Amino acid sequence: MRLQRSVRWFGFCCSSFLVCSGLSQAAVVSAPYPIGAALSQSSNVALLGQEQVIGVKLAEEYFNSKGGVNGSLIQLVLEDSAGDEASAINAFNALMRKNVLGIVGPTLSQQAFAADPLADKAKIPVIGPSNTAKGIPQIGNFVARVSAPVAIVAPFALQAALQKNPSLKTVAILYAQNDAFSSSESQTFQETVKADKRLNLVTIQKFQTTDSDFTSQTSEVLKVKPELVIISGLAADGGNLVKQLRQLGYKGLIVGGNGLNTPNVFPVCQKYCDGILIAQAYSPESGEAMNRTLVDLYQKKYKKNPGQFTAQAFTGMQVIVEALQKIDQKKKISSYELADLRQELNKQILSQTFQTALGTISFDKEGEILQKSFYVAEIKMDSDNKNGKFAFLK
Amino acid sequence: MLQTLLNGLCIGSVYALFALGYALVFSLLGVINFAQGAVFAVGAYLTWSLNTGSWGGGQVPLWETSFRLSFGLSLGISMLFCAGLSAFIERVAFEPLRRRRAEPLLYLVSSLGVAILLVNALLLIYGAETRNFDLEAIPFIPVLVEWGDIRLRGIQVLILAVSLAVLALLILVFRFSLIGKALRAVAENPAVAGLLGIPVQRCIVYTFALSGALASLAGTLVASGFSIPGPHFGLLFGLKALAVIVLGGMGEISGAVLGGLLLGLFEAFVPAEFSGYKEAVAFTLLFLGLMIRPQGLLGRPILEKL
Repeated sequence: MRLQRSVRWFGFCCSSFLVCSGLSQAAVVSAPYPIGAALSQSSNVALLGQEQVIGVKLAEEYFNSKGGVNGSLIQLVLEDSAGDEASAINAFNALMRKNVLGIVGPTLSQQAFAADPLADKAKIPVIGPSNTAKGIPQIGNFVARVSAPVAIVAPFALQAALQKNPSLKTVAILYAQNDAFSSSESQTFQETVKADKRLNLVTIQKFQTTDSDFTSQTSEVLKVKPELVIISGLAADGGNLVKQLRQLGYKGLIVGGNGLNTPNVFPVCQKYCDGILIAQAYSPESGEAMNRTLVDLYQKKYKKNPGQFTAQAFTGMQVIVEALQKIDQKKKISSYELADLRQELNKQILSQTFQTALGTISFDKEGEILQKSFYVAEIKMDSDNKNGKFAFLK
Repeated sequence: MLQTLLNGLCIGSVYALFALGYALVFSLLGVINFAQGAVFAVGAYLTWSLNTGSWGGGQVPLWETSFRLSFGLSLGISMLFCAGLSAFIERVAFEPLRRRRAEPLLYLVSSLGVAILLVNALLLIYGAETRNFDLEAIPFIPVLVEWGDIRLRGIQVLILAVSLAVLALLILVFRFSLIGKALRAVAENPAVAGLLGIPVQRCIVYTFALSGALASLAGTLVASGFSIPGPHFGLLFGLKALAVIVLGGMGEISGAVLGGLLLGLFEAFVPAEFSGYKEAVAFTLLFLGLMIRPQGLLGRPILEKL
């Protein structure tokens, strides 16, 4: 009898504890406020992801040094999204289990298409730091991005080419047909060229990202003597194509797509990379106050200028932190339930304007970035022909 | 037209060179050596490392040697190494099976295993990054060769010249030299060749060594002309070489040469708007070849004994 009563008491205590802990989890959001980041720290995408990790870490350090969210610190929770969809999903699940307020990530668009729906279903705001493919903000109401879509960024390089050679008329376009991003980027280039009455699209050549011999494509291009060649591919195939085109005597301008927007292209086309024009969503030389802050922080640690991936990841964190600051000014964050705070955070992100390293940005109702400043860089190779830099055009 | 023809001959001659290694082994043993594609990649990486002084870069950290050998010397050492490697592959993956009179399928699985092992070893050492030869460091190759409207990269001319010269030399050796005659005798009938005093086992080892050296030469030529896109690049060339020997005639030396040149020309003549699909040409040819003329262009039909 006594034993039975003890068991009942034990059961009552356990269930009370579980109910109370459950209630407290639902009710309390306490400092430091956890902000998740699912970025590629392993696999072949890590070259990009590492730059993003630096960006989110610098943001955590900077905003905490400025008092975090009105005096309460933020805490960065990092998970590795590696280079595939399954790893991105695992990273998102891990962050959700850790009750983060919002997520910056993942690194690749194809990972975003797989992992973002999970966060959207759980009503957790996601900021895509480098997802430029078409359709990312349309994944769901809780998905936004700070990476301008390729359709907006790419045409700036064409304008820069026309500034360099105002008399140019003939354009050849080459693209990797087996890469979804390169194909869609090439469509943007084709539409932009066709829309410009000064330009004549003389040939469109296709290749595969696995190709290394571009003799047939380059021969066809040289036959029609273009004054501008536009290449949408990845670093290895795109760089190789540039090399073979230049070696065959092509002397005109070359515009590269976002796949060539990486120092990894330097060892591939070596001295022939010189002069490739690539549109950018970020310039370290921009005079925006937040950009100067980011450049100073980055230079102190790494003795060089930050790149686009770092700046966009930094901006992703900034957007979440500044939106939290605004919410906190209206009603203390600690008085929110987690689910309500996430909903409020998403509303605030979509309605606020931010002064960032990318310039003044805001979002449309779907979560698409509205960015005003874009740039074009020209590759300048060093004398050793192995290293180079992206020199921003004025 | 002439430009396309030359483009096709340049790459076709390398296909021929590489396919010759397959044809030689097949003519002797009647089996396909799938490890040939991996030896092709090993040869390219080794020449690149000796020529640029750079090693590793994958799990093995990148390190640079103070010495850099000339392109020719690097190629020579790489060919010798790959000849030895191929002979070693024969000893560990083929000879034990031959002694047990194993089914031809087992040779195929065994050589495929060696190929995967070698490719993964390259991946471990070098990683998956693209590697490029510094052509400016090869002084005797001009960047561009122009002749009227014809434009060829200097390296393409070198590839064509070296491949055709080696192919001609090999055909002469097989026709007229003692070793060539011995190899042909072993290919015709190993038992009778053995009775005539020809060292059959040694001939087989020589054949593997020669096919390894040819794989290294072809791999280096392709890598210097285009790039080394990663350790797996030899496997795709291996599949193409397979298509070449089926097209030309399995085990036929002159068939491999003809098949290689034809494949290169077919690829070059793929219309520009379909240039992204040229890889499919090799395998369409393989399919058509098997349908229309299973014995290949220069192969002899197999007579069934009644």
